[in-house]
Amino acid sequence: MGPSEQVAKPATAMPPLRGVRVADFTLHAAGPFCAHILALLGAECIKIETAGRLDIFRKPHPVYGRMGAATFDQVSSNKLSVQLNLKQPRGVALAKRLVAVSDIVAESFRPGVMDRLGLNYETLKAVKPDIVMVSVSASGQTGPERDYAGYAPLFGAAGGLGTLTGYEDGPPTEIRHVMDHSTGLTAAMAVLAAYLRKKRTGAGQHVDVAAREVACGFIGDALLQFAATGVTSRRTGNDAPQIAPHNVYPCAGDDAWVSIVVTTEDEWRAFAKALQRPEWFTDARFASAQMRWTHRRELDAEIGAWTRGRSREAVTRILQAAGVAAFPSYTAQDIVDDPHLNGRGTIQNMVGPDGESRKVVGPPWRFSLTPAKLERWTPKLGEHNQYVFGELLGLRADEIEELVASKVIY
Amino acid sequence: MIDQRNAPLAGFTVVEHAEGVAASYAGRMMAVMGATVIKVEPPGKGSALRCTEPLLTQEPAASALFHYLNVGKRFVTCDVESAAGRRLMGELMARAELFIDDTPVARRAPLQLEPELVAARHPQLVFLSVLPFGAAGAHADFQACELNVFHAGGEGYLMPNGLTLEMFPDRPPVKIYGHFAELIGGTSAVCAGIAALLVRDEVGGQFVDVSVQDANVSVGCFAIQRLGDGILENRHGRSFKYGGVLECCDGYVGVLTLEQRQWEGLVKLMDDPDWGLDPALRDPLERSRRGAEINQHLRAWAKTQRVDDVVKKGQALSVPLAKYNAPADILESEQSKARGVFAPLDLPTFGLVPAFTAAFQLNGEALALTRAVAEPGADNEAIWCEWLGYKTAELEQWGQHGAV
Repeated sequence: MGPSEQVAKPATAMPPLRGVRVADFTLHAAGPFCAHILALLGAECIKIETAGRLDIFRKPHPVYGRMGAATFDQVSSNKLSVQLNLKQPRGVALAKRLVAVSDIVAESFRPGVMDRLGLNYETLKAVKPDIVMVSVSASGQTGPERDYAGYAPLFGAAGGLGTLTGYEDGPPTEIRHVMDHSTGLTAAMAVLAAYLRKKRTGAGQHVDVAAREVACGFIGDALLQFAATGVTSRRTGNDAPQIAPHNVYPCAGDDAWVSIVVTTEDEWRAFAKALQRPEWFTDARFASAQMRWTHRRELDAEIGAWTRGRSREAVTRILQAAGVAAFPSYTAQDIVDDPHLNGRGTIQNMVGPDGESRKVVGPPWRFSLTPAKLERWTPKLGEHNQYVFGELLGLRADEIEELVASKVIY
Repeated sequence: MIDQRNAPLAGFTVVEHAEGVAASYAGRMMAVMGATVIKVEPPGKGSALRCTEPLLTQEPAASALFHYLNVGKRFVTCDVESAAGRRLMGELMARAELFIDDTPVARRAPLQLEPELVAARHPQLVFLSVLPFGAAGAHADFQACELNVFHAGGEGYLMPNGLTLEMFPDRPPVKIYGHFAELIGGTSAVCAGIAALLVRDEVGGQFVDVSVQDANVSVGCFAIQRLGDGILENRHGRSFKYGGVLECCDGYVGVLTLEQRQWEGLVKLMDDPDWGLDPALRDPLERSRRGAEINQHLRAWAKTQRVDDVVKKGQALSVPLAKYNAPADILESEQSKARGVFAPLDLPTFGLVPAFTAAFQLNGEALALTRAVAEPGADNEAIWCEWLGYKTAELEQWGQHGAV
């Protein structure tokens, strides 16, 4: 086959997980992000909720001092929604029937809750022997601290990432939603691997993801350094050892910043030239990487004086043209307006059934043959009850009506 | 430790041609999950990351980062700038299911690594491209390091919040420790790579374009949601109104009470102080309005407390609390030991050292670390001769010509 034939190979237009079904019991942020990744990859992800206790991220609550729905939409588009009251035995029985026709189960309750509901891995394995199940929790399903409650900043604290983040002379720093979502992303990675193994061997697995361990994974180098040498990494602000300049600099405008990093001698020369500072070539303070590191605060001050009167975009343009790593500190507005991100489909505009439109984050990958897609608007609670209970599980209309009346489908 | 025969990616072969952190991390996670990952480095000193901080030893420079990112891999050298080197790497690619590459787009053609050419030569190979801004688009050729992609993804602008921001409101935004954004990119790449492997039997190999910026925009999607709700988030607006980082007499804890019962537990933890029993504070919005006042009380109380006591008693009352752990705390914690998340790794100079495996268990077992990092080309004999069938004399000849 020649190159042209290969290039002409058409995309299937089918995302890679088409035909894979996920029974999604996850709540809050980390677990739903895992299921969201699977849904973007094409899995039919059925989110199981109950009106008796809505996902805290769907309902209005005062996280930031204002009552409004939290950030449900970004991790729920592409999913289907069913209502199921797991406090009722018939609700649990229906959940098992749903698992029996699923490939993957995802849950993010506190450890022990799935046991109490009668929906733990062993039970579900009896229902569907090759099921792949992922459990996402703060500290994992085992260990003396498995019952510890937590949210994103606390995962970052316990896992050491927040401890090592912050200014040199300041306290540790909270890691926010990205901690939840990186946990979900890690869970998706692990469950995809387990599903691949299941596809090859026929054997399911239980994947137990601990959010605090995800935080540990981001400081794996520091953990290894300490274990081997006894040296502990410290908070260093924006510094990277032995690299200068390596910082965020003020630009023209309100709260406008640009990140600049110079790593090699070639880049340093290009940088000095771009800033029209030939005297730096003979300045003993900046004569080597080591010297620039030693005098990095003086260097930062001089760079800041140059960037302060220029826009972030102008600084980026000048430095990128010189082969120096520079990029604006993007706000959310910058992200949705960015032609590069829009062109890649990372930012998309979705229009809902009522004509409502909003910017959403699309799949973060581009597959040449099996493109991942955003296909659906955020489901209303129970929007897919009929499809799931009727078509998938084969319940008659009168049976569904009775289950609704009994608050099993609730 | 997990039986490697049951590791999820056992049986897959991955060729990794990567200089950066994101792509190396993707290879690491595949290796830890059981794949045979062959890292191709330039002859001589190998990857520049081998000398990158933090260091295990200064002379010779041995990078803790490199050891972390490359555990479990095989190490071969191959000069892909030469025709002989490219042919050798092509032979590896012909035997692999997946190829990880972070060669900048403009340099792919000289190295014969254009996606179209690779697809033509290796139609069953998944080509996983991992670049700061992806392989296509207006910024595909931009230079970027960790700090740049962290800010390109949106989270850079939003850090820090809470106590750090209160103390230093006028400083530039601060980055998350280490290589957070790049590790997110690597994790996202593994998701995509495995997804492509899942359909490889049906559609063959394909090109998968992973952007570290895209991955970070994805995990930072809440800011996009807020924007849609009419709120452009910034560092100040995103801070929790009360709670967060508290300094105790012997360290720091984090606390966050999002639910009513958690707030009530926190008041109880502080022995029901009069200010905490103010009926008006039963209203969560009132608590938010009086966040600064609550923080004053919380911080004064915390300074009289010991971290371990606060966490233990607080968690017993269902108050979400955690210690800001240092590496030593994590390595020594009973939780880490019970979970088995550290496995012994035999490091040159240091002997057996506990090294982090992965953030998940499979069927109740932690993953294993099968081999520590070795010198560049340490596996040349095993890969080029024993696996590909070349003679030792040929290997020596290539070595003389600088191809391996």
